[in-house]
Amino acid sequence: MEAVRTTVEARASKRSRATWSVFSSVKLTVLLLSLIAFTVLLGAWCPQESQVGQEKVFEQFGTDVAPWMIKLGISDIFHTPFFLTLIALLTINLVVASWQRVFPRLWVLRHPLPFLNPSEVMRLPVSKTLTTSIEPDQLINQLSKKLKHNLYFVRRQGTSLVAESGKIGRLAPTITHIGLLTLLLGVTISSWTGFSGFKPVLLGSNLFFGDSEHSKLWIGKLPTWHIKVDSTRRENYESGEAKQWYSRLTVLDQNDHVVKSEEISVNNPLSYEGVDIYQSSWGLDQIQLAFNGQAKTMSLRPMGKLYAAFLPLTKDLILIFSVRDQEGPMRVFAKRPDWDAPKLLGEIAVGKSLKLGTVQLTYGGALPVTGLQYKCDPGLAITYTAFAFIMLGVCLASIPHRQVWAAVSPDGYGSSFLFIGGSAKKGKILFGKQMDKIVAQLQKELPGRANEALPENSYSSAKDTVNV
Amino acid sequence: MSEFQLALTNTAGLSSVASFWVFVASNAFAKWQKVMLRLAQIVMVVGFVSLTVAIVARGIEAQRFPLANLYESLLWFAWATMGGYLFLARSYTIGQLGWLASLTATAMFLYGSWLPASQHEIAPLVPALVSYWRQIHVPPLIVSYAMFILGGLSALLELWVGGRRQSMFLAIAAIACAGLAIALGTYTPIDSFWLQLLFVGGSLVGLVSAWLKLDKVRPANTDNKAVELYDDVCYRCVAIGFPLLTIGVITGGLWANHAWGSYWSWDPKESMALVTWLSYAAYIHLRIHRDVSGEKLAIVSVAGLLLVLLTYLGFNSLGFGGLHSYGRFK
Ligand code: HEM
Repeated sequence: MEAVRTTVEARASKRSRATWSVFSSVKLTVLLLSLIAFTVLLGAWCPQESQVGQEKVFEQFGTDVAPWMIKLGISDIFHTPFFLTLIALLTINLVVASWQRVFPRLWVLRHPLPFLNPSEVMRLPVSKTLTTSIEPDQLINQLSKKLKHNLYFVRRQGTSLVAESGKIGRLAPTITHIGLLTLLLGVTISSWTGFSGFKPVLLGSNLFFGDSEHSKLWIGKLPTWHIKVDSTRRENYESGEAKQWYSRLTVLDQNDHVVKSEEISVNNPLSYEGVDIYQSSWGLDQIQLAFNGQAKTMSLRPMGKLYAAFLPLTKDLILIFSVRDQEGPMRVFAKRPDWDAPKLLGEIAVGKSLKLGTVQLTYGGALPVTGLQYKCDPGLAITYTAFAFIMLGVCLASIPHRQVWAAVSPDGYGSSFLFIGGSAKKGKILFGKQMDKIVAQLQKELPGRANEALPENSYSSAKDTVNV
Repeated sequence: MSEFQLALTNTAGLSSVASFWVFVASNAFAKWQKVMLRLAQIVMVVGFVSLTVAIVARGIEAQRFPLANLYESLLWFAWATMGGYLFLARSYTIGQLGWLASLTATAMFLYGSWLPASQHEIAPLVPALVSYWRQIHVPPLIVSYAMFILGGLSALLELWVGGRRQSMFLAIAAIACAGLAIALGTYTPIDSFWLQLLFVGGSLVGLVSAWLKLDKVRPANTDNKAVELYDDVCYRCVAIGFPLLTIGVITGGLWANHAWGSYWSWDPKESMALVTWLSYAAYIHLRIHRDVSGEKLAIVSVAGLLLVLLTYLGFNSLGFGGLHSYGRFK
């Protein structure tokens, strides 16, 4: 009874391991990475609705093709079940493979390399021999020095030696994969608890976080404080192009008490209680005018380097108000359809007036709008840690790991035979060259064989073999 | 642009052309080959050094980091291609890669010098690009692209010395289609639909047929030692390029987070860098997998080269959009 159960259990566990081995296979990794790469490529090629809106899709593909793009999900590819399934499979693959294949390799690293005897050394992928008339002890000493000079870590036992270089490179897969797992964790935390958004805010107005983009906020919550825009300005190059945008922001708590005030600019955000507020765009939004003392606000539209507002007076006469910046004057034009270009009627400085027929037009100034991007990202510290691990890991992966074994035996006539061999997983050619060089240098530095007439001995099969 | 800087840039361009011809000619004179290869290398060093000084001079003249538009980026790319080759040539004997590398650098010089004049001038930066992050983010990317391209070229040579000449010519045809599409997209108003078709169609047809022809081997033309050499060089290129690409993509994320509050926004160019990254991650894992032969990996490397071309140049010239469009000039 007992025996039967054990067999069944064993079979079950075997089966479960077999199931998992599908997920731990590197073949699957390659397949998934390629499929994801292809999907992202489609996403880069087709404008994404969530980034630029559906109109862009129509603009790019026309009314015939665009509906297909939308129907097939290509225009919002990063939210399709297909893409999310690929990511889920990659995650499973990564977790299973990391545990079954990548991390266990670390234990292997803890075991010191065994010493090999001459015939074992000669079976290594790269192997060479050398003869010299000095004592075996001296010879192994010389070799050890050479290897250390080439950045090998050397261990000796009698007249045998093992050496390794770039062993730290072996940590690369583990560190990279820990990084990738950490990245998944960080991104998950962010998407479950964070929020973000963009809002154009007029000078003097407030920014609240109620309409931000956020998922369920299972753990996080929206702030109770808000932001007021105290001032905002644009700095130009001499040529008139925008160089930098600035906004002075005040943080106000529930009771409208000031808790913080700071000027932000592009690349230079304000941070308060885990929320970052970024300067992301800037423009002039409105002009304030008065017609015979009666105030009127008009919306501006960006027109190249200028901003302009349009006021139709009659069916075919339009007044155009244009401003270049906040401080400068406003220009007033009139335009009729049969005129080639608008006619300049006059220029009004801020706070000044202009008489247009019977109308006294006063320019009260232009009101800027500052585009504020904000976000709260509680997973960020973890994500950044992940970035560090990934960068470290992939850098370590470019360090080639090399192993060298050597054994010296006396030939009984006063000479010593050196058998040296090794292996390298990457950069085999360079490793072969390094070995050639080390042996050639030793050969040159050490005295030759004591008895040149010595017959080829039993090791004659051990030719210079470099079979990488 | 000052005379000094122009002279240096021209020296670099001419050196890359000259080293190309010396590399090519070295194959015709078996007796002098060694000397000529050395000479070609020296000419390339001259080009590399003068380009280095030219870039520094440009930075001093502009009072900013000289990497802000497509023209400057191409200079960097040519610089990285030459430097990458010279670095590899220190440890490998790879004369044949030399002429491909100098040809690539020459192509970048020509591509850059035919750009509209507005791209050559030292223009002020838009607010989004005024940041020290720019110099951390972009150079690793450009160097990684150059390394990947060198890896792809090395893969072409691997096919050649492996006796797989049909595959190699098909792979070259794929690259030629891609290059043609980029050139047409840059200098002519041809509709981007046709250009994308030329790029993608040419790449796919070329690579798939190159793959199918892999078992057409001429044993007489096979040199196994050389196959191993170019395979090794190709992997070395990827081993250097991949960490740089990783650093470039991640620092781009850090910059975006710093400036816009989001480290990833699926911007097209961002996505393309991710595509390249994922593809080379696939390549690395393909290498871990034992039963993939060197020549198949070579085709994959050429596919990587095409992806890099698409990410780096194809993107703007074939009519994709996005935040990173400071390279657009149409
Ligand atoms: C998601 C599924 C993934 C799986 C199942 C997986 C699996 C593996 C395995 C089994 C190894 C070999 C470990 C060894 O030889 O000791 C490895 C190595 C490696 N992986 Fe992954 N991996 C995945 C994703 C990634 C990604 C996305 C990257 C991107 C950076 C990556 C980077 C690396 C690196 C750099 C190495 C070391 C390669 C080398 O030593 O040359 N892996 N991976």
